[in-house]
Amino acid sequence: MATTTQALPVRKRKGFKRAGEALTGYLFISPWLFIFFTFIAFSIVYAFYLSFTKYNLLRPPEWWGLEGYRRVLSDDLFIKKALPNTFKYVLIVVPIQTVLSLILAFAMDQQLRFRRFFRTIFYLPSVTSSVVISLIFVWLFAAQGVINQIFGLAVNWLDDVRTAFYVIMGMNIFTTSGTLMLIFLAGLQDISPSIYEAASIDGASKFQQLIYVTVPMLRPVIFFVVTVGVIGCFQVFDQIFVMTSGGPLDSTTTITYLIYKWAFRDTTIKMGQASSLAIILTLIILAVTILQRRIIEGSGSRTG
Amino acid sequence: MKKTFAALSMLVVLSLLLSACGATQTVEVVKTVEVEKKVVETQEVIKTVEVEKKVIETQEVQVPAERSVVRLSGWASSPAETALLESLLYKFSVENPDIVVKYEPITGDYKQALLTAIASGTEPDIFYMDIFWWQELAKNEVLLPLDDLMAADGVKKEAFIPALIDAFTYDGKIYGIPKDFNTLGLFYNKELFDKAGLAYPTDDWTWEDLRAAAEKLTDLSDPNRPIYGLGVPPDPGRFPIFIFQNGGTVMNADFSDTTLDDAKAVEAAEFYTSFKKDGIGALPSDVGEGWQGTVFGKGQFAMVYEGGWLIPYLRDSFPNAQYGVVLPPAGPAGEGNLIFTVAWGVSANTKNPEAAWKVVNFLTNETSQKTVLESGFALPSRVSLKDSDYLKNNPAASAIFRGSLEGAKPFFWGAVGSDVNDQISKALERVYKENQAVADALKEAAEKIRAALKNQ
Repeated sequence: MATTTQALPVRKRKGFKRAGEALTGYLFISPWLFIFFTFIAFSIVYAFYLSFTKYNLLRPPEWWGLEGYRRVLSDDLFIKKALPNTFKYVLIVVPIQTVLSLILAFAMDQQLRFRRFFRTIFYLPSVTSSVVISLIFVWLFAAQGVINQIFGLAVNWLDDVRTAFYVIMGMNIFTTSGTLMLIFLAGLQDISPSIYEAASIDGASKFQQLIYVTVPMLRPVIFFVVTVGVIGCFQVFDQIFVMTSGGPLDSTTTITYLIYKWAFRDTTIKMGQASSLAIILTLIILAVTILQRRIIEGSGSRTG
Repeated sequence: MKKTFAALSMLVVLSLLLSACGATQTVEVVKTVEVEKKVVETQEVIKTVEVEKKVIETQEVQVPAERSVVRLSGWASSPAETALLESLLYKFSVENPDIVVKYEPITGDYKQALLTAIASGTEPDIFYMDIFWWQELAKNEVLLPLDDLMAADGVKKEAFIPALIDAFTYDGKIYGIPKDFNTLGLFYNKELFDKAGLAYPTDDWTWEDLRAAAEKLTDLSDPNRPIYGLGVPPDPGRFPIFIFQNGGTVMNADFSDTTLDDAKAVEAAEFYTSFKKDGIGALPSDVGEGWQGTVFGKGQFAMVYEGGWLIPYLRDSFPNAQYGVVLPPAGPAGEGNLIFTVAWGVSANTKNPEAAWKVVNFLTNETSQKTVLESGFALPSRVSLKDSDYLKNNPAASAIFRGSLEGAKPFFWGAVGSDVNDQISKALERVYKENQAVADALKEAAEKIRAALKNQ
């Protein structure tokens, strides 16, 4: 009896203290929480509601059920251009930027001269505003731009259906590889040297060490980089908005650009239909992310 | 110790919160400018403003205690144009001390900003409305009909150019007072005409004259600086005049269907695209530019169809360009032109409809319109200024003004206007870049427009 009566206030005090700590914690993150709830959580919930309505901004939203989704899924521009374009973009950009940044990270991990200098150089595009880089690329690839003059070509890169999308892809690879390289570099330096020592005692060559030690050890980092890359690529917008506005002949129209077009550019605003497409895009990204988690974490041992 | 720490951290969090609030308050998208304080930049206007300044000093005593506030927004196309509007508003504030006009120019995407402001109920009392999309506003009842206010002030509909005021009439009611307008003219480079030994174009030119001249003006001898006879961009703001000149239309009378796949439109497109096909015309992108006005200024397009906006651009960017402007050459069915116009609209939610109307009326009265005309920025919407000295002394502006009188249609394609625009330019691009047959390209465009009409 005595022990329980003594224990109770202690537990109470502990609980009280814990609640107080939690309160302090929440207070600390409250500025962020405020921004999160007003600008992110509320927007997502509202967009979900709007996706079931007809809304042109001028009149209050009108309940529409699944009509918005039906229209999205029967829209030519979405089915024939935006959807395939977006997948093409992801399938080309993500592997190239992942492999490229991994190679860069390996190179930067060696005892090279001017290593810091190169790290800075490679990272520089990531710090620059994407709009600024887009404008620089517009000049580089203009009909009478630097690229054409250096190589003596007469290709109108951004106005040609065959090249415009690839220029944008190239630009995105150029800008994101720096950031991804940095993440890989951090991952590489986390791998304990003792594992490499053990491997070399076992007679593994440098290349075998790379394939059988480094890459498996980097698995969580690779998952992170690929996930971030996939999500970023599915949402590509600003470069397209600045460089081609979805043209020439819709060859660079992606899902996010189509959302923008319906929500803001059309004479009759289709905010509801645009919201439906935004929800569909979210579902696509969710499905792809789950799938790739299965693939990357499913094969081989679970580490980290 | 712990308590003080908690209290301190609370303080830190509170100050963070406060600063966060402060930050959101300062990041205002719209600039609020009190009109009375503004200094005028245009030289011509400065004199008149200085005279008015003396007036305000004597009148300042009479400023009433209660003043109604009217907010006014427009896009800001150039600093000089903004200064002109501000000087007009300054004059207004001198004449009407009981009304404060707050000018809130919107930079960036104007329509997007205006629509979101309307959706959140924070729109300005008076705003610019482009002919291309204003009807959506009238249809959704966010505009104030102006007929009664006009009648009360004795402002007659007939005082304005019919094509303009009719363009801002919906369901029999006037919703906007046109502030100015533009049409397309044929701009020609005098030096290139002299070099080719050709007589300058006249208002009586026809399609045949245009083609013959383009052939002679084209000079591709220098691969780094080719000269083409005519600019033929895949632009929905240029090509349709050829359809009109051929007796066709873009949309039917009530905008419920498109007529782009009609024989008349196809013939017009065949003529328009033949310039590029035959190497006597080109797109601005062919010579590495985004806009043909720049190419014209550089002397690489001998002729372009552009509006009055090209005149101040050439004056500023290519002061040595020797050029003239005539009416667009007539086609088989005669004259045809596009009217680009912007009106002042008043919000249906305004708290001071009378004050708002007073501002609109002042900005579109004959004196203000004359000031605008003489500044060279835009053409006046009032019929009475047709014979003004300025137009007599400025043949270029006069050609653009006269373009509105015969065969001109407003640049407006109904509720799916942006789709129509997209499809016109895509059809032309397919002809130019994928060698699609003209008839097929327009048929495809018409089908897509019909699908958009059905899905409204």
